[in-house]
Amino acid sequence: MQTTLQALKNQFTVQWEKQQRADLHQVGLPREQTLAALTWLKEHTPFVQLTHMSVVDWIEEDQFQITYLLMNPRSYDLLMVCTRIARSGATMESVHKLWPQAVTYEQEMNEMFGVEFPGSPRQGESFILEGWEDIPPMRRDFDTVQFVLDHIPDRPGRLSINTREFIGRKVGEKRLLHD
Amino acid sequence: MSNKPDLLHGVPEIPAGSVPHANGCDQSCFLGERPDPLSYKEAIQTVKNWFRANSLWVIAYGTGCGSIELRPLGTARFDMERFGIAMRPTPRQSNVLIISGYLSIKSLKRVIRVYEQMPSPKWVVGLGSCTINGGMYWDSYATMKVLDLYLPVDVYIAGCMPRPEALIGGFKELMRMIKNGETKGYIDYIERLDWYRENQKQIIKDWDLPDYSW
Amino acid sequence: MTEQVTEKDVQLWVGPQHPGVTGNMSVQIWLRGDTIQMGRTHVGYLHRGFEKLMERRKFIQSFPIVCRICVPEPDTNEYLLAAGVEEIAGIVIPEKARWLRTLALEMARLAATLQALGGQVGMMGLGTVPNWTYTLRDYILDRFEELTGARIYHMYIVYGGVRRDLPEGFAARMEEDLRAIEERLPFIDNLIFDNAVFRKRAIGVGKIDPAWIDEMGITGPTARACGVPRDVRRNSPYLVYPELDFDVITAEGCDIFARAQVRRGDITQSIRIIRQILARMPKDGPYCARMPNMLHWTVEKGQTYVRAEASRGEMGYFVVTDGSDKLRRVHVRGPSYVHAVSLLERMLPGTNISDLGATMVSMQTCPPEIER
Repeated sequence: MQTTLQALKNQFTVQWEKQQRADLHQVGLPREQTLAALTWLKEHTPFVQLTHMSVVDWIEEDQFQITYLLMNPRSYDLLMVCTRIARSGATMESVHKLWPQAVTYEQEMNEMFGVEFPGSPRQGESFILEGWEDIPPMRRDFDTVQFVLDHIPDRPGRLSINTREFIGRKVGEKRLLHD
Repeated sequence: MSNKPDLLHGVPEIPAGSVPHANGCDQSCFLGERPDPLSYKEAIQTVKNWFRANSLWVIAYGTGCGSIELRPLGTARFDMERFGIAMRPTPRQSNVLIISGYLSIKSLKRVIRVYEQMPSPKWVVGLGSCTINGGMYWDSYATMKVLDLYLPVDVYIAGCMPRPEALIGGFKELMRMIKNGETKGYIDYIERLDWYRENQKQIIKDWDLPDYSW
Repeated sequence: MTEQVTEKDVQLWVGPQHPGVTGNMSVQIWLRGDTIQMGRTHVGYLHRGFEKLMERRKFIQSFPIVCRICVPEPDTNEYLLAAGVEEIAGIVIPEKARWLRTLALEMARLAATLQALGGQVGMMGLGTVPNWTYTLRDYILDRFEELTGARIYHMYIVYGGVRRDLPEGFAARMEEDLRAIEERLPFIDNLIFDNAVFRKRAIGVGKIDPAWIDEMGITGPTARACGVPRDVRRNSPYLVYPELDFDVITAEGCDIFARAQVRRGDITQSIRIIRQILARMPKDGPYCARMPNMLHWTVEKGQTYVRAEASRGEMGYFVVTDGSDKLRRVHVRGPSYVHAVSLLERMLPGTNISDLGATMVSMQTCPPEIER
């Protein structure tokens, strides 16, 4: 683990790193170097398996964070490689040539976040949704409640309870504020 | 084929005033008396309903998480076959459609196809709170909220998720309704097909189903 | 991939309404004769947008959502969400909660494995074994009901520990049920592993190449059936698993038969683990840490990935928080994500159509965790 991290730091610009757990390290890489770093990790280090791939929408900073989770199949250590891309016109290099199962992840992210992965085989194909016309639903600016009110008929008579007020009435507002 | 095909094939609809078996001879000929046509029709209907109620064939389509309780119901411990309820693999052989829980809009399209392929008489059982009003998925962009806008539901079983005993209770209720002739959902679906279609097309955005899935 | 398919091939949809498909998913296949040339998995029929809903719920309100991600085995999901948030918030759970959590996880594994083993042979037309295994699973669900109050969705594991203590006399009743399961297991063995029909349809069918395991990230019984001892409980221990004595079951053959053997071994191991937990669990002590008011509990910014061994393979949660009282993002890495999409599509070419269902079921696919 430490040797791989050291070699990674020598080879690439590691923006930040953090040890989350004994078996989980996180590193941040600039977007341009990510594909090269992942290729290098797969070919020259024991971190050969792609366990997970994910996108987080940081709408306040106008960025998407793309996370690759690599695993060492011998020691079962995890390495989380994070990179930030611009939110508007988001594109990222595809890693499907390194790991075949990344196609599915990239297809899902393309559908749910609108991140483009040029060259990945199933881009633009429907994976989960069907006939979706709105903005990609997992983006933060997609309001699911508004969508339901606008598009999906509901049975009238639903009662919404504000948890804070409801429990406040039950236990007494004083105690709630005090806690 | 005519424009309005007989969608209600299988439903015994004897025109009012006609005498059944007028040209043939049934048992009443030998008795020398004719039964009152109305009571005769009712008797036949009662017998038919009794048979139907005691042989509910459920299509094996687990549309949601409620289907996990259908398997225990079908196996040794709860054993729904003692009520004459059996699982069938294809819509052509079944007459009960269980919507087991929430229905995503992508699934709804398939469910409509399945429902229309089933022969009449057929019944729909809505299982779980999420078929009634969306349940805990009330704010989800991907599921429908009210099932009876899209399919004619005969029995709702509330709960998340309902226990096998609740399911048996629901089935018993359905049987009672069938025996009393209270289940007219499949007739309603044909009579108000346009209304159902309008609702279905409202949430299924890429509508590519045929006019009616035979 | 597409070059294998010509215009002469028959295109066929298996599912979503198909009794042989696990849950509500579908496989599109191209056939030449009765040999599958290519297959595509289509999911999304069970999509509920859980990850979106969790972004608008408070931390504690996420538990009813996560346990619905995998129906046969909800406790793994509850544990992973709790563990991920606890790790970021720096909460240490009491000793007794660790044991109770392990108990819930192992009971869920046992129930799910029983269900999968019955489903595997039931898929091939052997109706007796599912009748037995589902009933045995029901015994476990009875104990779940006693422990948590619910049959299927337990919501037992919460932040800081668990919701309730062990009821009085639980261990004795559990022991009774475990004995009932053990009594029935020789019958199941006879009927499955000595069965000529099952052997004929399982041995050499649904084979995977051991080289794919590292390449694609295959985990759980599917990997262990190739002789690779991949088990998160052993490789990256969590809760009280390091203190327990159990074997990681492996089998040779990489086929359906080997996977069934691994499942059968897993049942024995789960029973063993449950007995150890009930015997060695501390009798008193708190079962939940002292937690702040859940209505306005905020967790500092952070991200982590936690994993646990579900009955199907490695289940992982990628949890991101941003300092507010709601989760920023949760991404579920279900074992079926790789198994039922990428791996199944890779296994299908060359398979006979009658083996499609058995192949799919042998990986114990759980569609809701693919699409959430």
